[in-house]
Amino acid sequence: MKRAAPAPPSLGARGLALLVDALLLATFLLMGEFLGRALVFPVQEGTLRTAQEILERLHYAVLSATGLALAVAWHAAGRLLGGTPGLSFAGALPPEEAEVSWNLTLRGWFTLLFVELTFFTGWLVTEVDLGTFFTNFDKAAGVIRGLMHPSGTVLFEGLILLIQTLFLAFMATAFAIPPAFLLAFAAARNLTRESPAAKFVYTGLRTAMNLTRAVEPLVWALVFISWVGIGPFAGVLALWVHSVASLVKLYSEQIESIDRGPMDAIKATGAGTLQVLRYGVVPQVIPPFLSFTIYRWDINVRMSTIIGFVGGGGIGYILKPRVDLGEWGEVGTLVLLIAVAVWVMDLVSARIRERIV
Amino acid sequence: MSGPVAVAVERLSKVWPDGIRALDDVSLEVREGEFLAVLGLSGSGKSTLLRCINRLVDPTEGKISIFGRDVTSAEGAGLRALRREAGMIFQQFNLVKRHSVRDNVLSGALGRTGTLRSLFLLFSEADRAEAQACLDRVGMGDRGDSRADALSGGQQQRVAIARALMQRPKLILADEPVASLDPALRNSVMRHVEALNREEGITVICSLHDLDLMKRYATRAVALREGKLVHEGKPEDFDLATLKSIYGQEAEFGFEAAS
Repeated sequence: MKRAAPAPPSLGARGLALLVDALLLATFLLMGEFLGRALVFPVQEGTLRTAQEILERLHYAVLSATGLALAVAWHAAGRLLGGTPGLSFAGALPPEEAEVSWNLTLRGWFTLLFVELTFFTGWLVTEVDLGTFFTNFDKAAGVIRGLMHPSGTVLFEGLILLIQTLFLAFMATAFAIPPAFLLAFAAARNLTRESPAAKFVYTGLRTAMNLTRAVEPLVWALVFISWVGIGPFAGVLALWVHSVASLVKLYSEQIESIDRGPMDAIKATGAGTLQVLRYGVVPQVIPPFLSFTIYRWDINVRMSTIIGFVGGGGIGYILKPRVDLGEWGEVGTLVLLIAVAVWVMDLVSARIRERIV
Repeated sequence: MSGPVAVAVERLSKVWPDGIRALDDVSLEVREGEFLAVLGLSGSGKSTLLRCINRLVDPTEGKISIFGRDVTSAEGAGLRALRREAGMIFQQFNLVKRHSVRDNVLSGALGRTGTLRSLFLLFSEADRAEAQACLDRVGMGDRGDSRADALSGGQQQRVAIARALMQRPKLILADEPVASLDPALRNSVMRHVEALNREEGITVICSLHDLDLMKRYATRAVALREGKLVHEGKPEDFDLATLKSIYGQEAEFGFEAAS
């Protein structure tokens, strides 16, 4: 066997590397200016007070341009300074450089410094205040006391709605299985390599599912509440959309990891595409699919609490007003009910999944 | 051998996308009824050659025909019809592990079963009887209801042979059929392949790396080295010098001391 020499990084990879480097260096400089301002001009009445005010004053344009210039310079002087972090990100490092230990490269030290800078900048941006955290506890004590003394008045209503929550999560999962099962085959890379059309479907489907998943179920709940009105059905639909997207991902990754052997064997009998999928793929993926589906139900139970907060039905729906009114005893009861349900679901689903695989 | 041509391979080359040339200008002819052994080191292209014949792998260049029909240009239903003629046996058996032994054998009939019926594993009574006969033939008639992954390696390979037989093939492609079996079990599997060749007149192309098995079962042998066909002849023609040219000068052979 003869192996061709590895191809030099493509133009696309180089472009991506340069873009990443420019962003990294510009961010680095901006964080540097932020810290500099915060330290050199400490917080004073009348000048700089909050992180937000510093953020408003940073020299974004100048520092971004400098970042880009530095990135170009680093790329140009690559022989002297070694590969850039961007090249590493784009997977375009020359192999002899990729093997060098991080502490012998400029890019390694830059990355370390970058992470540290992020931590200190983050400390100021998020206005971390350990003093208040440790001294102001008594204000929260009332809430915690209420939570620890659950009130019995909402117990029955809570239980009924908890049952609704479990069903809500179950229906969302059940409705998600058929579309996810069918789409997963088109979203599996190993089944879509043959034709350009299939590759196109694969890429389109993956992108659509990633976008769908990136939108929080809370947002989907708002969409469906205005569609079908406040209530558990809106919650079912919100969780359904999210479940389809995430099950397609889990299912298709499972399909990608199957043993190709049985598929080849079925193909060799002269079977058609659907038959190859039915005999060569489906038997291998059914147990993990079941396991993922039960896991998804488990996740949906947790999520449906939050969905209820905005009007998607279930126990979250009566939790919200009690939080707003500060009825901490009743909140405590409901939280306890949710915790027990989630805990039991977790145990049961783990046990069932263990049995299946 | 001078029957009609079963398989004709002309100037076949396969280059993988990563630049590896797995087959390099290979030509050979197999006559009906032959038992052709394909020798060579791992990575010499044996498996690629077999997979090109039923188009599990698409060749880069060259032409292959089986029983006078062109495989290289076949597509869709035509390609599937050609694949039905060639049963395949794999080193890793490649049974559907969660299906029963019987359903595995029945899957050999997929090429002639309607898609809708087969999606629900609805095979005809005639197919079921035929599957039982195939299982009986490899001595597995009483294991039809077992799950495939409950069987030993040798038993799984016998079921795989029954699956290939269920196809009613005129050709069997066997890709290292005994390489992952215990040496003591190899002959028990090879004898079933030999029986199909002798009794049914099925042409066999079988890659092997065990020279004793080649001498015992093959009627003719070819050898590949780095994707090229380097030797072709009767099993007894493969003497020490030939073998060293196939396997490299460092290779050692069990019979060397004796000869």
